[in-house]
Amino acid sequence: MSVFELIDIDKEFKNGRNVEKILKSVDLKLKEGELTALTGPSGSGKSTLLTIAACLQKKSDGIIKFNGQDISKESDGKIRNIRAEKFGFVFQQAHLVPFLTVKEQLELMLDTANVKLDKKDRKIDKVLEAVDLSNHKDSYPESLSGGEKQRAAIARAIIHDPEILFADEPTASLDSKRSKEVMELIKSLSAKLGITVLMVTHDMDMLEYADSRVEMKDGQITAVE
Amino acid sequence: MKMAWKEMKKFKLRYLILGFIVFLISMLTLSISGLANGLSDDNASLIKHMPDGTFYMDEEAEDNYSFSSLTTEQEDEIKNASGQETFFSIQMGELLDDDDKKFSTAYVTSEGGDYFPEVDKGEIVLDSSFEGEGFEVGDEVSNSLMEEPLTIAGFVEQQKFSHTEVGFINKEDYGEMFRADTFQIGFIDDEVDLGESLKSYNNSDFLNTIPSYSAEQMSLNMIIIFLYVISALLFAIFFYMINVQKMSTFGILKAIGVKQSSLFVMMWSQMLLITIVSLIPAIVAGLLINQFAPEGMPFFLPTETITFSAIAFIIIGFLGATLSGLQIRKAEPMQAINQGGM
Repeated sequence: MSVFELIDIDKEFKNGRNVEKILKSVDLKLKEGELTALTGPSGSGKSTLLTIAACLQKKSDGIIKFNGQDISKESDGKIRNIRAEKFGFVFQQAHLVPFLTVKEQLELMLDTANVKLDKKDRKIDKVLEAVDLSNHKDSYPESLSGGEKQRAAIARAIIHDPEILFADEPTASLDSKRSKEVMELIKSLSAKLGITVLMVTHDMDMLEYADSRVEMKDGQITAVE
Repeated sequence: MKMAWKEMKKFKLRYLILGFIVFLISMLTLSISGLANGLSDDNASLIKHMPDGTFYMDEEAEDNYSFSSLTTEQEDEIKNASGQETFFSIQMGELLDDDDKKFSTAYVTSEGGDYFPEVDKGEIVLDSSFEGEGFEVGDEVSNSLMEEPLTIAGFVEQQKFSHTEVGFINKEDYGEMFRADTFQIGFIDDEVDLGESLKSYNNSDFLNTIPSYSAEQMSLNMIIIFLYVISALLFAIFFYMINVQKMSTFGILKAIGVKQSSLFVMMWSQMLLITIVSLIPAIVAGLLINQFAPEGMPFFLPTETITFSAIAFIIIGFLGATLSGLQIRKAEPMQAINQGGM
């Protein structure tokens, strides 16, 4: 069953007098609990598609359905609430808040997602254990290595039990060993927590973790495996 | 609020610097306000101690009390108006001690009302600062315009006019001294506009007729206004610089769903905390100056001035921070994601 659906998505950018069409009538379905990899050459529109799906930028045309409901016409406030409560994000860079410790980053996410938990600390400990960062609970981002930062970002992305995790080249800034670790982590968390994942990647080695693969070229989907 | 505090804790130095600058500016503002109040008192405490009401001078005096001379008809007109009337005259002169040492004195005589001390003929009541010069009750002082000396009957606190200590004397002695048998100024503790031959002033307008009073106060008030403007700019520039550095963080926070209003609350909390923490030592410093200022330094910092300055600083800080905080609205999640970061 598809939990998330993009129907006939167009995206145009104005470049001076010219209008560039980045996405052309893209349709995409994400199945519940599956990890879908979005691949393609640079400029094919895969990151644009991911950010439109994640409601981080507006589409020019089309429909975004989440749990059967068209969310593309919702107000900015409602979309922000959906992003905070139902979505999780992992980017190329960890993008952690520099003045918060790892634990505080997770607390912030729980507060933002309005998660009411009696035992927040236990939940945080559990997630940090899952990403192997228990020893860095009180560390600031500046004292973490690249891999640790990315694991902290993953912990932040899943702490509020999102339904969909959007990952934009989460291993791009990591070496192959760390990339593998991060992918194994995303895959295992997705399987364990039933989170649907849409991941953009350039790295063909990462495809072994995907349940399905969507190939893009020139703003269109060219293959679905 | 929690996030605001955590950021300040993490980046202590930058917020300490801002706090220190706010402390210095607020202390300077309070000091100059205290000086403005002190000089204002030094210039016109005789008038400032009077209640709100209406002052009257002869229309032809052209706003100069020393040219005013109220006729009997004009005095009757004031007496017939509602409210308690008082008449008084002021003349600058000098006072001589036993050793013929001269002291500038503003001689004041009055009738009616209880704003000025009642003085018998041959006596004088002096401002308390004469006590510091060694004068005592019972001492005799003289004046080149009078044949008989005047005996000091008492002292009154803080009665000055045009930066000169006041000496209250009886109307007969005043008449002998200045050859004047009419009053210059009438006062009613009410708002009443009288006939055409009398020009009426409220308290503030009357203070401005004192030579140099408005020029002196305007100069100091201009400095105070500039300090407030500098404070607003300081807040705006400082938060602008901090916000520019945090655009990427704001973008990411927006991406993960943090409300824009929460980011503004964070900035306002920081501004409020810095302002309050900086104002406390500035107020303490101002009060210490108020307490221990040298005798000759006119400095007066009342609670109203402190409260006004504190509220003004908070409002100014709020405006400055909000102005620079408009950038928060421009923080775009997409831009932050593409920029990279920690």
